[in-house]
Amino acid sequence: MNVNVAALVAVFAFAVLMLTIFGTLYRGAVRSHQRGELDFEGIRILRWGMLGQVAIYAILAVTAFLAWP
Amino acid sequence: MQPGPSTLPAEASALTAPPSTLPPYTWALLRWSFAIGVIPPIVLVAALALKSKFLLIFIHVITGGTWTGFDLFMGVVMSRVMRSLEIPARVEVAKRLTPTTFFMMPSFAATAVTAGIFLAILDGKFDLTSPWIIAALVVVVILTAQGFGIFMPNGVRIFIELAKLTPDTGLIARLNMRNISLAGVQALLQVLIILIMAHLALD
Repeated sequence: MNVNVAALVAVFAFAVLMLTIFGTLYRGAVRSHQRGELDFEGIRILRWGMLGQVAIYAILAVTAFLAWP
Repeated sequence: MQPGPSTLPAEASALTAPPSTLPPYTWALLRWSFAIGVIPPIVLVAALALKSKFLLIFIHVITGGTWTGFDLFMGVVMSRVMRSLEIPARVEVAKRLTPTTFFMMPSFAATAVTAGIFLAILDGKFDLTSPWIIAALVVVVILTAQGFGIFMPNGVRIFIELAKLTPDTGLIARLNMRNISLAGVQALLQVLIILIMAHLALD
């Protein structure tokens, strides 16, 4: 299998960056929920939002294994 | 007034589970955004798996064009429309615009850039000493930093605010306006990258 290492590293770096930003916002949302300011629906939508973004980047990461020519 | 027996279960459930503050259409718009957003990376995977340069050019052009067109529309048209609206109306637009674009726009942007890099490699133009390639990469890095650092966090903050029991509508309107104004900046950078692409195509 022809692996494009640079592409794989780039996708991984983006995933880490995205998860760090999402994680920071998620922690803030959880604290708001614990204080009773935020509905649980807000936490649920953040989880699904994060999962959806990860799914899209996981599909893009597959391209690193399809290096061509 | 004494509550009738038929109202008791509803009141009891309201005490245990407060009603969601998120508008009912949020999930439907988010699902639609994901359904559209997942298509470009799948087509890119198919183009590479099938070794189809035609499909690779197609997905690069359609995602890049849609991304640029959307940002131009947001920056040139929607920013003016939004400024003319009252704050409650801006919030209503933000409530619908944020979930609809949440998956679509990052997907179009990421696919356009990834497909562009594969295309440049395929055409033997991905030379990191070339000033045109360096210029393209600089613009892409700025666009990506804005996307990850401002657009996406603002979108998430709008979701958080919408789900609050007492949403700050002023904050929602401000965050949405910031995203729309930034879309104008992104559009200018994308016009710049298209100029660079046009030069690379003639090279």
